[in-house]
Parts: sequence; C-alpha cells; structure tokens
Amino acid sequence: MNIGATTRDGENEAFVVDGYLESLLSRTPADATDLAPELREAAAALAAGLPRYHPSFRFEESLAQRLAEAAAAMGPAAEPVAGAASAVTPFPRAPITDGALDGRAGAFRPAVIGGVLTSAALSLAGAAYVAWRRGRPAADPMARAIRAAARRRTA
Amino acid sequence: MDAARIDPARFDALYRKYLAQVYNFAVYELGDHHEAEDATERTFLSALAGLTGFEERARPEDGLEASTFRIWLFQIARNVVAERRRRQRRRPEAPLEIASEAPDPADLEDAVVRRELATAAWGAVDRLTGDRRRAVVLRFVHEMTTAEIASILGRSEGAVRVLIHRGLRRVAGELRAPDRDPR
Repeated sequence: MNIGATTRDGENEAFVVDGYLESLLSRTPADATDLAPELREAAAALAAGLPRYHPSFRFEESLAQRLAEAAAAMGPAAEPVAGAASAVTPFPRAPITDGALDGRAGAFRPAVIGGVLTSAALSLAGAAYVAWRRGRPAADPMARAIRAAARRRTA
Repeated sequence: MDAARIDPARFDALYRKYLAQVYNFAVYELGDHHEAEDATERTFLSALAGLTGFEERARPEDGLEASTFRIWLFQIARNVVAERRRRQRRRPEAPLEIASEAPDPADLEDAVVRRELATAAWGAVDRLTGDRRRAVVLRFVHEMTTAEIASILGRSEGAVRVLIHRGLRRVAGELRAPDRDPR
C-alpha cells in the first residue's frame, strides 16, 4: 500500500469537497457527481440543519452599555489615522499671555473637532461669545430698553 | 474599523455586527448559554482594549469592504474559549437544544423528517473533537472560507480542507448508520 498516494488522494478529495461546499454555501450547489452521495447528503444536512444561536436582547444591551463605558474611559486615540473623518484642529490662539484661563503661562490645549467636542473647547467658545456680545454695540432700541430695565431690576 | 480605532465610542457598530457570530461560536464551543455570554463579553472587552494593536491585512484587491477584523476577533474568541475550557476541564454532557421552528401543518411530515435529520447532524457534529469540530462549525454555521478558518485556527488551508473533509466523512457515516442515535 502506498501511503503517500493515499494521502494525496485524500488531499485531492478534500479539495473537491471544498469546492463543492463553496458552491453549496453560496446557494448554487455544483453538480458534483464525482463526489460520494453520502458526503453530499451530509453536507446538505449540515448546511441546512445546524442551528444558529442569538444572544438575548437583554444581554446584547447590557454588554453594549459596558463597552460604551469602557470606550468612554479610554477616550479617543491620541494620534488620528490619516484621512479619517475626525482631526485634531488647534483652537485659535487667544491673545492671552498671563495664563488667566487655566493658571499656566502660555498654556494651550487642542480640541478635537469633528469627533468629540471637549469641555475645554466649550468653555473657550463660551468665553469668546460673551466677549463678542459685550464688545458689540446694541443697535436695536428695543434691546437697549430691555437691558436698561434689567439693570434697574438688579440695582 | 478606522473610525473605531480613532474613537473607541464608535466600536458599537462593530460590536452589533459581530455579536451574534461570536456568541454563536462560543455556544458551539462551550455548550452552555451562560458560559457563552461570559466568553462573548470577555472577547469584546479584549477586542476593544486591543483595538489600536489590530493590523488590517486585507489588500485593496480583496475588495472595498474586505477586512481581516472578523478573523482577528475570532482569534480572540478562540483564546477566550480555550481559557474557559481549561478552567472547566470538561464540557457539559447535555447537548444543546436545537432551535425549534413551527412547521407548516401542510408540510408537517417533511418538517419532521428535516428536524430529525438536523438533530442527527447536530449530534454527529457534537461528537467530533478539537479542530475538526471547530473547522466544521466555522465552515457550515459561520460560512467562513477555508482561508479564514486557517487564519483563525493557525493552520494551513490544506490542513483545514482535510479537517473538514474528515469531519464530513464522520458525520456522513453517522447519518447513514441504521442505528444512529438522534440526540
């Protein structure tokens, strides 16, 4: 008995079976008359009969929550992948040199725009908006009257 | 995939896409729904933690949507399951119940025959061992290609083809046996 030839025969048949399974699982079973009928029947039984299990909705949502918490704890990656939708964009430098914002002289913190808007960016944007509103002349007489009434109430 | 690497909060889309597959794999491996839930949880938490280390190996010629993420995820799942089995030191004896479906009354006899055949097939697969069983399940349940299975099991494609062929022969032998034991 030639063991080498037997092994090669086995490998060849395995190759034929693989081709047939590929066609079977693509829902276009090939006409594999060179394949033993019992193998074709077994393949059909396995393709149609093996059940698929799905986790419960409760488990799915509970794990989703855990993953969201873990992801939030990790934070966004420091180095973005090139060509990605999010990018680290430097927030325009404010003309502040005395470290009034966070106590560190010349401190500057980049904000992630497009992915996550950080709380630091929100507070900077808020400060800029207030400064802009204060510097803008109140041209509308109605607005001036309302502001005057408000000042009187607080006084 | 890239979006999830930049911002882990976007991992949710990958999680929803692959949850059922990982869970299914774990159920077949561990034979217990609670154990499968634990293994699934550990798999996804490990994947999230190691996401920045994932290296995409799909080539542009493989197609726009091609990704090796599923292979990487199943490699993690396989390790998690192996660890749990080492701790268990045994597999539960009770086979999983086959998901039942309500047969059409007009097709009742046919449905009964199909169900009996499915039960027998599942029993035969359940009696396969090791990577032979794993390869058959990945091929028929997850409909993975031989190349994908080879990557997950850390074997050559030829070896996987032989594993599946032998597994199929074994199943065929059991299905043809006159005194088969439909579990």
